[in-house]
Amino acid sequence: MSDWLLNVLFLLINGLVWGLIIALISLGLSLIFGVMGIVNMAHGDLYMVGAVLGFSLFPFLGNFWLALLVVPVIVALIAAPMERFILRPYEGYHAVTMIATVGISFILQQAALAWYGGVPKKMVDPWPVTFHFLGVDYAGYRFLIAAVSIVILAAIWLFLYRTPYGVLIRASIQDRDMASAMGIDVNKVLIATFVLGSVLAAVGGVLAAPVTQVSYLMGNDVALLAFIVVIIGGLGSLEGTLVAALGLCSLEGVMACILSPTQSRAAIFVVMVAILMVRPRGLFGGAER
Amino acid sequence: MALVDRRFFALLAIALFAVLGLILPQGARSLVIQMMIFSVFAMGYDVCLGLTNQCSLGHSIFFGVGAYGAILAIVHLKAGVLTSLAGGVGSGLVFAVLVGIVCVRLSEAYFVIVTAIISAVFHLLAMDLTWLTGGDDGLSVSVPPFALPGVTLSLYQPLVNYYFVLFFLAAAYLLLERIVRAPLGKIFVSIRENEKRVRFLGYDVLRYKLIAFVLSAGLGSLAGALYGLTLRYASADYFSFYWSVLPVVWCLVGGLGTLAGPWIGAVLMSLFQYYVSAWFTYYLLLFGILVLVILKVSRKGILGYILERGGR
Repeated sequence: MSDWLLNVLFLLINGLVWGLIIALISLGLSLIFGVMGIVNMAHGDLYMVGAVLGFSLFPFLGNFWLALLVVPVIVALIAAPMERFILRPYEGYHAVTMIATVGISFILQQAALAWYGGVPKKMVDPWPVTFHFLGVDYAGYRFLIAAVSIVILAAIWLFLYRTPYGVLIRASIQDRDMASAMGIDVNKVLIATFVLGSVLAAVGGVLAAPVTQVSYLMGNDVALLAFIVVIIGGLGSLEGTLVAALGLCSLEGVMACILSPTQSRAAIFVVMVAILMVRPRGLFGGAER
Repeated sequence: MALVDRRFFALLAIALFAVLGLILPQGARSLVIQMMIFSVFAMGYDVCLGLTNQCSLGHSIFFGVGAYGAILAIVHLKAGVLTSLAGGVGSGLVFAVLVGIVCVRLSEAYFVIVTAIISAVFHLLAMDLTWLTGGDDGLSVSVPPFALPGVTLSLYQPLVNYYFVLFFLAAAYLLLERIVRAPLGKIFVSIRENEKRVRFLGYDVLRYKLIAFVLSAGLGSLAGALYGLTLRYASADYFSFYWSVLPVVWCLVGGLGTLAGPWIGAVLMSLFQYYVSAWFTYYLLLFGILVLVILKVSRKGILGYILERGGR
């Protein structure tokens, strides 16, 4: 195989691995929007909190897996009161939730800046192994990310489609009033969904910490990508989110061989605008409810 | 009744600004110039959110484009002050039409998200295209003097700068007040109150939403151009998300749909920023808390509250 093709393959795999992390994050965003009607501008910052906590706790815990378990618990403890005490009255009013979560986003960012500092830091590779494959070296940790993400995505799918709790959540996505009328305790579903979505963002943050720069502003970039993914996939559509995340990130990965990161982000944006012109509700978006 | 009150308030505020320009010391005067520029921005944003209920989180695009339009016209075309101002507003209008065509068709959730995405992409591009924008460091220019019949004035004179900005604030207000009282303004408000019914009455809702969006963005770019000319500087930061959130906050504080109400928001928030950011490093933390408190306390805003009291 020629070098050029190998290079493209390498970038494609990198893009796919990143796409799996983005899929976790966007799935949380999409779930929160679909069930609760919250446009969560603070989602990227929950990812940031996950990464910052992962970075800071890793030396104390000494074990990456432990961090991957402890950090989501902490983020869940942050997210639950956020939903209950701040966002609950605005749910369903998209623009209002967006403004409120912008406020939360500023608070989280500044708190992280105060506690963690403004300088981006690089985390040590928790699994410094390299694979040699077709003449290219791959960092082993990236495969670990892929494996963990796939396991989590599969677990989410099983949870949503094979357990009674999943039925409750999907029923609330389809028709919240009807779900409530059928005796589902919608308030519990709401808080559980918000926590689940936030935990997905935080897990994405912990997983991504070793492969990116950890800084208090790292959420902005990911939030932008996650929102583009969710818009293209169709707001509230879980399968659309998954398809769009993997598709867009591999596209962005491959484009990296000819374009700068900003240019490929702009190219993704052009794709989004083109799709919106043809389908104003994204690829998998349903009719207005 | 309420309309008369509102006009009374606005004219009073303009008169107050006019007097303040003469008596304020230099430092306070430049703060008030900033407040007046933000008032233009806030009033423009009110056309979008307050009159037609389109919550845009992308108005930093037009603020930034307006500022860069003016500054780049001076740098590359050696344009005069008025030409560069027109250049800023003109380029803002062009981008407003492009963004508007994509966005006004979308439902509310898509509209807010897509406008926010577009402004984030503009910010990225402005940071990246340093040959054009100067990136984070920005571009500084020296603003040439301009001639009115009889006199030659320069924005370097603080008083000229002050009344230059005040003139555009008053002109923008009178234009909008005229539009609100015309049939066009009635259609805007009916779209806010019940979009479906307006469509059933046979109006082309998307067209009017686009008109409102472009009008709003045009005032945003006027504010950007005035800000750029006043500071003689533009940087990629003008496209940042903060500049999209500010007008929302101004309008919520001052009162949605009241045109002059957002001025109160702009004035109060400028004071808040001026004093708080001086002693507290994490000023944005308080800003975030303030956003939540404002949402909690009031949807009508200060002027809306006063007018409601007066109407009884």
